[in-house]
Amino acid sequence: MLSACRRNGPGYIFLTPWLIGFLCLTIGPILISLYLAFTRYDIVNPPQWVGLENFFYMFTMDERFLKAIRVTFTYVFLSVPCKLVFALLVAMILDKGIRAIGLYRSLFYLPSILGGSIAVAILWKQLFAFNGVINTLLSLIGITGPYWLNDPDYALYTLVVLSMWQFGSPMLIFLAGLRAIPKELYEAAEIDAASKPRQFFSITLPLLSPVIFFNVTLQMIEAFKAFSSAFIISRGDGAPMDSLLFVTVYLYNEAFAYLRMGYASALAWVLFIIIAIFTAIAFISSRYWVYYEGGRS
Amino acid sequence: MKHMNRRQFIRTGATILGAFAASSITVIPAYASKSRIRHFWWGNPGRDKRTFGVISLFNKKNPDIEVIGETVAFADYFAKLSTQIAGRNMPDVIQQGYGTFIEYVRRGAVTPLDRYTGKLLDLSNMDKAAIRAGTVDGKLYALSTGANVHMALYNKRLYEAAGISSGKGFDPYGWTYDDVKRIGVAVSKANKNSVYGTDDNTANYQNFSDFVTQMGIARMFSDDGKYLVPVEIVEEYWHLWKLVRESGATPPGKASAGLVDPPMSEWGIVTGLTATSYFWSNQLVGAQALVKDEINAAMFPNTSKKIPGSYIQPSQFICLTRDSKTPDAAIRYMNSFVNDPEITDILGLERGIPENMLVRRALKPKVTPTEAKSVEYFEKIQDKTAPLPPPYPPGANEIEKTFMRIATGVLLERETIPGAAKKFVKQASFILRRAG
Repeated sequence: MLSACRRNGPGYIFLTPWLIGFLCLTIGPILISLYLAFTRYDIVNPPQWVGLENFFYMFTMDERFLKAIRVTFTYVFLSVPCKLVFALLVAMILDKGIRAIGLYRSLFYLPSILGGSIAVAILWKQLFAFNGVINTLLSLIGITGPYWLNDPDYALYTLVVLSMWQFGSPMLIFLAGLRAIPKELYEAAEIDAASKPRQFFSITLPLLSPVIFFNVTLQMIEAFKAFSSAFIISRGDGAPMDSLLFVTVYLYNEAFAYLRMGYASALAWVLFIIIAIFTAIAFISSRYWVYYEGGRS
Repeated sequence: MKHMNRRQFIRTGATILGAFAASSITVIPAYASKSRIRHFWWGNPGRDKRTFGVISLFNKKNPDIEVIGETVAFADYFAKLSTQIAGRNMPDVIQQGYGTFIEYVRRGAVTPLDRYTGKLLDLSNMDKAAIRAGTVDGKLYALSTGANVHMALYNKRLYEAAGISSGKGFDPYGWTYDDVKRIGVAVSKANKNSVYGTDDNTANYQNFSDFVTQMGIARMFSDDGKYLVPVEIVEEYWHLWKLVRESGATPPGKASAGLVDPPMSEWGIVTGLTATSYFWSNQLVGAQALVKDEINAAMFPNTSKKIPGSYIQPSQFICLTRDSKTPDAAIRYMNSFVNDPEITDILGLERGIPENMLVRRALKPKVTPTEAKSVEYFEKIQDKTAPLPPPYPPGANEIEKTFMRIATGVLLERETIPGAAKKFVKQASFILRRAG
């Protein structure tokens, strides 16, 4: 025990800057927000304990919360598959060993670095404006484009496209996964005259499934947490007509525009639980569709 | 050897940590002979430049005080203020609006100024109306930095292209919603539909609040927190603008749906989408700076009954916060801000018309032609305004947002007007109940 302490002590000393940050700036606020979720708290006055009132209100009376859930789920279930299919497609093209692959990799990864930024959200707003680039291109083939961002039917899809455009990091992971598949499997399949689609479904997909699982889980969590682009494009409150009211945008408004910090904390915890449930589902279901070479331990 | 290495390593690490700790100690300020106060406002580049000018002048005149300015855009202001309130480190002097300050008074974030008046704070030349506006339950909490009122801004050249000018088919101080439609159609046509005559105000909450007063409802909120606007008036308002929209005087509803509460850079009159936009008098100067054509001022339209709907109100307040450690210094700064003519020379009319009679008189010969329009506008509307209603109750801000959201549905024809009006009044009442 003592020797373990001696052995690990210096390690912990070097960890302290990070450890202090983690305890004070992450764990601390998380625990406080759990407490605040059961209070009414307007920031100025001390929080008042109200028990389950916030959750009761959320699930029985709050229509905007239901809208926010609908918007968030639509976004997650559209953007994650679209983005991953696209990322896999690009990764497979790059895997074919084209020239200057490093350049393409960097170029394709670039949007992922920029993606969360305010500037890109503003750029997106310009692209999808009524007389923006997208509609100008559409008009060349004789289509009058809609008011993408003003119309509740379209606004969310522009954000799905924005997230697809940020396919860089799952693409890199797919690329690494593809490289790891032993080439002799494909050679054997060639000899047995297996078609390309057959090779894809019988070799590539099963061997890539751990990577797919990893990407699905990470991207799903990211999508649930999406905030800044929706915040900028909807000018902060989910407009038009709450069609961009992500749970994150809603809780930001509750907290900082209307000073209902307690209710916002409750919303944050509900979002957290939703993410936890879906991550758990992904993990449990992975037993049935993720294939680990050499079997699972 | 390995052991030595580790020891050296630890020693180096400890030195670094020590240095880290020492550097954090130096961050703690030494006791200075100067009182340091912070002034926090929302602004735009023009306002920020003027306000920092004020601060450096004040610091020069008052060597024992050091004012530090902090500014962000309006959209981020209240979020940042919220975190400062929670952290108990609000700046000494903060900016507030007439629609917002009551919430901060009720919650105890700002403190009364009464014990300073007549001593460090001189209010002898301030307009009584301005003092009344900052008073809650008999105590003064907020100093108005300028008077403001609703203003319609119109593009003189585009109006003239349709043969319309002040006094010629157009009374800027007495036009009606019928005139808005007639003039809007004429301007749209004269400019071959490349410009629309007017913004569509279906989702403009300021115009809506004007209309409610014009319909004879002096107050939107009762003292016990009830919403007093009947459903029929909301319906009538949206019908009125529907008629204007369908006449072709405004952009299509789908275009207007993207222009709900826009930043100045997206105003119809600034982008050239429309020839008339409806905002605030203190914004005339800022908008004119962005537009080549000459912009002129008109009142918000009225009904044929001509019951006044606009009221003069403080554009912004400065308030002393609960967290101020040196309130005396802060009050001296606030006092100079509203009373010192040299400071107003720097501020101009950007925060509205000064509320101090002497300051106003001193400023008058120095105004720019655009500012002169603003001054003239104030003189002409004096007998055409409604009395200032009491400060809005908590929740008023949320009602405004709700109005815009539901009105967007009306613009997009996703909701019938009667259905939307009923929904809005129901939600407004609920918001007040929840906030109260």
